Amino acid sequence: MTFLLGFHWGWLLGSFLFGLAAGWVAVVHRGKGVSKVLSRWLAALALALVAAALSRVVPGRPGYWLDLGLVMFACYLAGCMFGSSLRDWVLSRSAPAG
Amino acid sequence: MHGPFRWSSKWWPGVIPLVILWAIAAWTNTAPLESELAGQSTAALKDTVLDKTRVAVEGRDVTLAADAFSEQGRRSAVASVETVPGVRLVNDETHLVPEAKPFVWSAERDVVRVTLGGSAPLPASKGKLLEAARASLGGVEVADQMNLARGAPARFDNAALLLIDQIGKLKDGKITISDNKVSLSGMTRDLGGREAIAAALKNLPEGFSVAANDVKAPPYIFQAYKDPVAVTLTLSGYVPDNAVHAAIAAAAARKFFSENVVDNLKASVGAPSGFATAVVPALGALSRLSTGTLVVSDREVKLSGDALYDAAANQIRNGLAKEFPQGFQLKADISVKPPSAPVDATVCQQLFSELLVKGKIRFESGRADIVSDSAGLLDRLIETALRCPNVNIEIAGHTDADGDDASNKTLSEKRAQAVMDYLVKAGLPADRFTAVGYGSAQPVAANDTDEGKAQNRRIEFVVR
Repeated sequence: MTFLLGFHWGWLLGSFLFGLAAGWVAVVHRGKGVSKVLSRWLAALALALVAAALSRVVPGRPGYWLDLGLVMFACYLAGCMFGSSLRDWVLSRSAPAG
Repeated sequence: MHGPFRWSSKWWPGVIPLVILWAIAAWTNTAPLESELAGQSTAALKDTVLDKTRVAVEGRDVTLAADAFSEQGRRSAVASVETVPGVRLVNDETHLVPEAKPFVWSAERDVVRVTLGGSAPLPASKGKLLEAARASLGGVEVADQMNLARGAPARFDNAALLLIDQIGKLKDGKITISDNKVSLSGMTRDLGGREAIAAALKNLPEGFSVAANDVKAPPYIFQAYKDPVAVTLTLSGYVPDNAVHAAIAAAAARKFFSENVVDNLKASVGAPSGFATAVVPALGALSRLSTGTLVVSDREVKLSGDALYDAAANQIRNGLAKEFPQGFQLKADISVKPPSAPVDATVCQQLFSELLVKGKIRFESGRADIVSDSAGLLDRLIETALRCPNVNIEIAGHTDADGDDASNKTLSEKRAQAVMDYLVKAGLPADRFTAVGYGSAQPVAANDTDEGKAQNRRIEFVVR
């Protein structure tokens, strides 16, 4: 894991920034979100992929690409959470004043 | 949904660029990652002894194929690759090299090259053996057909290095180690090569033994040629050392009373044992021939030429081999020289006198036993006697003036008689000869010097 983080830090930072932007926008986004049912399925899919990566069942290059994708996705999620929280905090501070 | 996941249903739009980013990252990073892991895995194997190592990386999975020389080495190789940071899985395709039973190694030399074959225990020892072969054979092509195998005896490298030194001494041949038995065959470059190799084999490491040493040396050759026209005896070939050389040269000078000895002998090791004991009587036999060649090749003595009369030929054919040390073989090809034309009494006397001026019949000191060195001269005298069948000959014995007259006379008489007996034994009729002893009564030189005395001690042939 340390090796993956060290070797791909630029890409992971990129993923985090994408997440940050998506999270920042999500707070004020007026469009339709993902339905609850679908998001459960997506969560289940993500867990299945994590399980596949941890059990090392996917061999060779696809295995590496899965690991890389999951780590990038984790960074993206972290970015999203941070971005949304940050936007929420900023809005909550400026709302009473406005 | 609460907390940071409150807005998670609207995070999906960023996933699309994320997937694109992921695809680019996978596309650009796979090859560098694989080469990085391959490099680190190879570095991790640096201290492990392996053969035919192949490291293949796919993603983060390393396939390690190699031949290991022990189970422990095999496991430690896999473990070292597993600990390389970033490696996810190691596909273990390592094997133990096969065990050779018996463990056979060989070095074979032919005209142009040396081939190292069989098994070597480790890549390092294989390299060491090749290097040693190239160094000790300077310039000769060294071909490597060695495989790697387990099961080498202890101290194999030392034994093989010692034997590589020996292959340099061979012209052609093969040296084999089978477990801890060493076998050698072939032909050495030099005469003393066999002895040198035998001496070196005594230094084989503990546990090794020589099963068969069939190394042969080029034949040890000694030659002597008696040329009746140039009146020379030419000696060529080898003698073991200077002492034997001197002994043979002295024997040749005594036995060949009229010939000049041309000495082209060289000293060399490798002579068969008993060399001098065989060569000296063989030279004696050659001295009895009118023309002849003596070739001593290892333990085979070839004597060919013309004897002066029948009985001499028979004596040489039947008697010479008995004088050889054990192991020596005689191949005699002796013919008899056609008899020379008869001569009259005057010429006969002249011939006797000429012969006895060139050489003297010698006896054991103070006794009447003819020494064997005089056989050549006696044969000449007998040949001459055969040429004058109608004359009677007095064999006259003389001594120097030392000692009392009576005993001198008796000794001279006995010596004359011994010569006569020799002649009769050679086939001459006894009634043509009379043996007379004159003691010191008829000196030919003054008896006051050793030289004069030596001249006075003599046998004369007088035609009556």
